[in-house]
Amino acid sequence: MNPQAAVHRTETDGIPTLFAQAAGPMRAGLVFRVGVADETLARAGVTHLVEHLALHRQGLADYHFNGATKAAFTHFHVEGSEHEVVAYLQGVCASLAALPMERLETEKEILRTEESRRETPQLPLWRYGAQGYGLVSYPEWGVRNLGPQDVEAWAQTWFTQGNAVLWVAGERLPAGLTLRLPAGPRRSLPAVTSALPATPAYFSDGTGGVLLDAVVTDSTAARLYAGVLERELSRALRQEGGYSYTAATDYTARRDGFALVTAFADALPAKQDAVLGGFVDVLAGLQAGRIGQGDLDAVRTRADSALAAPDAAVLRLPGAAEDLLAGRPSRTLDELRAELRAVTPEDLHTVAVEAAGTALMQVPGGHSADWAGYTEAPTGSSYAVTGRRFASRSRDGSALIVGEEGVSVTAGARDGTEHAATVPYRACAAMLSWPDGGRRLIGTDGLVVDLEPGLYGVDAHTMATVDAAVPPTAVVWMPPRQRTPAPEPGPAPDGSGASRAGSPGRAAPTRRTGGQTATLVVFGLLSALFAFLALSFTVFGADDPETSTGEWLAIAGFMWGLTGLLAWPAVGVLRRTRRM
Amino acid sequence: MSFASSASSPPPDFEVASAFPEAVRLRQDAAAGDWTSVRQYVDSLPQGTDRAFAVRVLAEVPGVEQSLRELVATAPDDVFALTVLGAREIEIGWEIRTAARAEDVGHEQFAAFHAHLREAEKRLIRATALDPSHDAAWAERLNTARGLELGQNEARRRYDRLAAHHPHHFTGQARLLQQLCPKWGGSWQAAHGFAQECLRGAPDGALNGGLVAEAHLEHWLELREGRERTEYLRQPHVHAELVEAAERSVAHPHYRPTYGWVTVQGCFAALFSLIGDRARAAAHFRALGNLASEYPWSYLGKPADAYVKHRDAALAPG
Repeated sequence: MNPQAAVHRTETDGIPTLFAQAAGPMRAGLVFRVGVADETLARAGVTHLVEHLALHRQGLADYHFNGATKAAFTHFHVEGSEHEVVAYLQGVCASLAALPMERLETEKEILRTEESRRETPQLPLWRYGAQGYGLVSYPEWGVRNLGPQDVEAWAQTWFTQGNAVLWVAGERLPAGLTLRLPAGPRRSLPAVTSALPATPAYFSDGTGGVLLDAVVTDSTAARLYAGVLERELSRALRQEGGYSYTAATDYTARRDGFALVTAFADALPAKQDAVLGGFVDVLAGLQAGRIGQGDLDAVRTRADSALAAPDAAVLRLPGAAEDLLAGRPSRTLDELRAELRAVTPEDLHTVAVEAAGTALMQVPGGHSADWAGYTEAPTGSSYAVTGRRFASRSRDGSALIVGEEGVSVTAGARDGTEHAATVPYRACAAMLSWPDGGRRLIGTDGLVVDLEPGLYGVDAHTMATVDAAVPPTAVVWMPPRQRTPAPEPGPAPDGSGASRAGSPGRAAPTRRTGGQTATLVVFGLLSALFAFLALSFTVFGADDPETSTGEWLAIAGFMWGLTGLLAWPAVGVLRRTRRM
Repeated sequence: MSFASSASSPPPDFEVASAFPEAVRLRQDAAAGDWTSVRQYVDSLPQGTDRAFAVRVLAEVPGVEQSLRELVATAPDDVFALTVLGAREIEIGWEIRTAARAEDVGHEQFAAFHAHLREAEKRLIRATALDPSHDAAWAERLNTARGLELGQNEARRRYDRLAAHHPHHFTGQARLLQQLCPKWGGSWQAAHGFAQECLRGAPDGALNGGLVAEAHLEHWLELREGRERTEYLRQPHVHAELVEAAERSVAHPHYRPTYGWVTVQGCFAALFSLIGDRARAAAHFRALGNLASEYPWSYLGKPADAYVKHRDAALAPG
């Protein structure tokens, strides 16, 4: 038995502490049960802002440290000598207790810069909506309007002694470590919301490959399923077909007993249809129970060697800290290895069937997956509000309706039906408010209604009723825009102009504006390659990547280089794309 | 104008069972819901037989979907039943859509057509997932890919999956050839290129050379009636390609009348007749006896009338 394989549990100033024996420099992390999914859309980014402020006093220390804000957890970690680790952890706690508010505006600026370099995944938005776990898809709109009291209150509520876990890897626990944090309770996991009335579902967007995620019961078999799926995708799409350059999967435990299996395959524009078809067939093969013992064994061997590696216990510590915070049972490396040995192809078949039932697939723009049994994810609402109607000045057949309960935009499709997107005020996740009078309302289901007074001829009084109806906490004050949307002469006013050729019914009501769409594929490529890299370190480490923001950026930078070399057309699209 | 009544020229026989008597048994068994007997017959076919033929015969039996749905409900992993049910759904879909040009098909007709094709595709995805070597299932998925307009590369991918196990699958090749024609989003270069590929890859005497004739017939049909069509067929390379394709397929000593032969002989007969090469047309008509298939004769007018007209012209003395 490897003496380094054991994780000891103790306490530091009332904070549960996980310790693993390890040679070399000391590594440690302070983990809180708070993340993006705990925020609201109009206050999104507050956790990240607290993380930045807490790290500011570390200044330019020459040991390695960083912070990372994830969906449901925030990590501070450090690597260095014992006294450096102590100084860092105590500094973080001191900062959390008294945030350096004089830095507030500067850190906001830094976050905006960081954001402009980061690409966000779209699947969470479509799966969860504009709330909870779906918020990772959105810009950090809240940062702009947060005052010192808001940030202070957030820190006091979430970054507390009861809501933290410490992990340490080294020769011994550091002497003289004291962690002073405000008292507070352990927080439960964020609610899992849904924006999908039916699964499996799909939406079409972007110019590149196929991306899919599925919610499965968190298990060793499910982890191995992700590995086997990657092998099958690579074999079918890369080796046999030559349709894809990259095919990769990732496994992320949500720590609530479920996990997300994510799969991605890129595609040259001319081969998108074949990538989609091949992707569907790979999933169908696993779902039908065609799982090769050889594939399972190969993935199992890789996973087992990661668990048997000398640093296995250390690499698992950040994940174990998350499990502890989430109240999940912990398992030893030996238990995990025994579980690995017990997995059969039938177990993977069970996972494949579960995944097939919960899948959400993103297919390239212009394609659909209804032929493969996937239901189209909603791009509109089932109803429009009643109220005052303002026809579009572009004469494109669309109209805005402002009612007492909310706002709707409607558009006629070519088949004569009318499509609507509605945001009820009571379910308004955020209202972006520009000084020129423009408003964008985003519902908790992710649907968007743009209220441009100039485009629809809406009077000031009506606009004021909207402003009054939206809860103040949902309002995001935006800086002046370079260009105010103005009416453009549209096609014939018979309603046909509302939908673009080939896409009936996708007229005005869409989830996002075009600007955000093209970037997804690049993100997917990055994340897929990143996942692959993470996997190459350790299969079981992949779900708790100890990725600090800095590391992420470094790896992302490397991937950018790689992406550039591959010369995907999407890169050009991305660079021309301006964020909202 | 009808030549069919002439005593010297019996009317053509479009009955599949006249060329392949086993079709009678397959239809009877399927209508009776005796899938055990159907399966016995299909399983007894020699290795390499184009099983898409039998599946098509079964799929054309009215009402057969009832017993197939029951069968699939109790045996969800029955690849053969899934395949025939998929084929039947496609058949029902096309009966609703009709063979009319897309602009003449109503909105509701299209919706029902697509709904049946999606239902078919669901069955067939499962069939090929369970048995990726099942030739008839892949051949049917070429039909769903075309009807659902899934794209040229996707159709080619499906054909490649079929060809990985069945490199000279005549029905699969004929279906991909349709997809490669401009009417389904392809190009003449792709269609003729693929037909030549099929010819050159096939063993001597196999039917695959017939696809060269099908490609020319499709190309001819797309041109305007009259001078354009005549000029197309007058090109020396067209005639030369047809001669070569016939000599390597149905006119080759190794040729055997396997599933699909009536169509292939018919294509050569029709094209040589249209070109005015009466001697070659006559040889193919003699091989046909009085057997015929809808394709290619439906391209030349009323199928029976067209057949008789061209045959009598080819076989006329002098």
